[in-house]
Amino acid sequence: MAPKAAPSSSAQSQSSVQTLWSAYSEQTPDRLKFIDSFLLFIMLSGVIQFAYCVLVTNYPFNAFLAGFASTIGQFVLTASLRAQVNPENKSEFKDVSPERAFADFALGSIVLHFFVFNFLG
Amino acid sequence: MLLPTTLILLASLVQAATLTLKNSRFNITSKDATELRAEPLSVTEKLSSPLKLDRTDILRLTFQVVEKDNGNNVQPHQAFLRFYDETTDEEGIQPVRVSNTGKGKFELNMAKPPTSLPPTGSAPLRVSLLIGSFVHSPLKVELFDLHVPASHPPAQHTEEASYHPLPPLGHTFRPEQKLPPRIISASFTGLALAPWLVPLVLWGKVAPSTPRLFSPHILPFVTTLALFEGLLFWYWIDLRLGQVLLYGGILALPTVFAGKHALASIGERRLGLARK
Repeated sequence: MAPKAAPSSSAQSQSSVQTLWSAYSEQTPDRLKFIDSFLLFIMLSGVIQFAYCVLVTNYPFNAFLAGFASTIGQFVLTASLRAQVNPENKSEFKDVSPERAFADFALGSIVLHFFVFNFLG
Repeated sequence: MLLPTTLILLASLVQAATLTLKNSRFNITSKDATELRAEPLSVTEKLSSPLKLDRTDILRLTFQVVEKDNGNNVQPHQAFLRFYDETTDEEGIQPVRVSNTGKGKFELNMAKPPTSLPPTGSAPLRVSLLIGSFVHSPLKVELFDLHVPASHPPAQHTEEASYHPLPPLGHTFRPEQKLPPRIISASFTGLALAPWLVPLVLWGKVAPSTPRLFSPHILPFVTTLALFEGLLFWYWIDLRLGQVLLYGGILALPTVFAGKHALASIGERRLGLARK
């Protein structure tokens, strides 16, 4: 029975991925999609930098640290911004208005970029 | 009054007195007690032909310490035999017992040599007699040269190594790290820049409209944020840490006020829209 079950489960998972994707693209506000595309960019950028460090060389190491740390830090800051401005999470962040979240994001980013440029050498 | 002066006088007289040796002689006997060599020794001259001892021979040395002027017997306070090897600078000091009649005796049995005998090689040991006394001038007599069987070479002294110059301190540098070949470098640069396509493409589709971006309420905030990023970029290019902190501190004030104003106006607008 197992061989027969395998294709049907893969088809099921395919359809569930499709459902997930369509639900995302229909129900997510454009502002969050905007942030999500930025998150995707950061993730790809970090992966490529890490792959370069592992596969080719970590020289100059300070530049790798700065670049990789900036992607990680920016991802965290952006993800928390996304969580706080998401209307679905309003009950979670009652005291945090979207403006306050953006101010935090801007301050955090400036501090992060200060350290990143410090390391960049 | 008279007594101390005479004592001092006497003392100075005695001080001036010098010592000498009387009846000083040696003999060498083999194991079976046959006498191999026996000669008197001179105080002033070293024995011309060196002495030779075999592994089982016995050297006996006798002398009597007397004052040079009147021939009185003297028991010196110290008497030593010194064995000195000129080639290796090794020496051995052997105290000699001198009786109260001034007679001294020394026996060197090569079958069981004393520990004071220095390590020996092929060169002869120079043997001298040193006599010290509180009231006489010291006496040093070169007796003879002595050939004894060679011993083991002297053991290295434990602190020998600290009496030599140390090797110069050097620092080994790791080889300079190299950048990868230009092609790999360039292709990975391209790869690292490629993700920029993602937001550029996707933002074209989902960019939220920003109608009030250039309104006088919002623009100062955006400008100050951009100035901050510019300042940090300038820090990378040229500035020092102190300058960045100073300029950043100055820039922070207008940023805070502009941000507060801009975000408050956005919030008002948002709440206003929500109420509608």
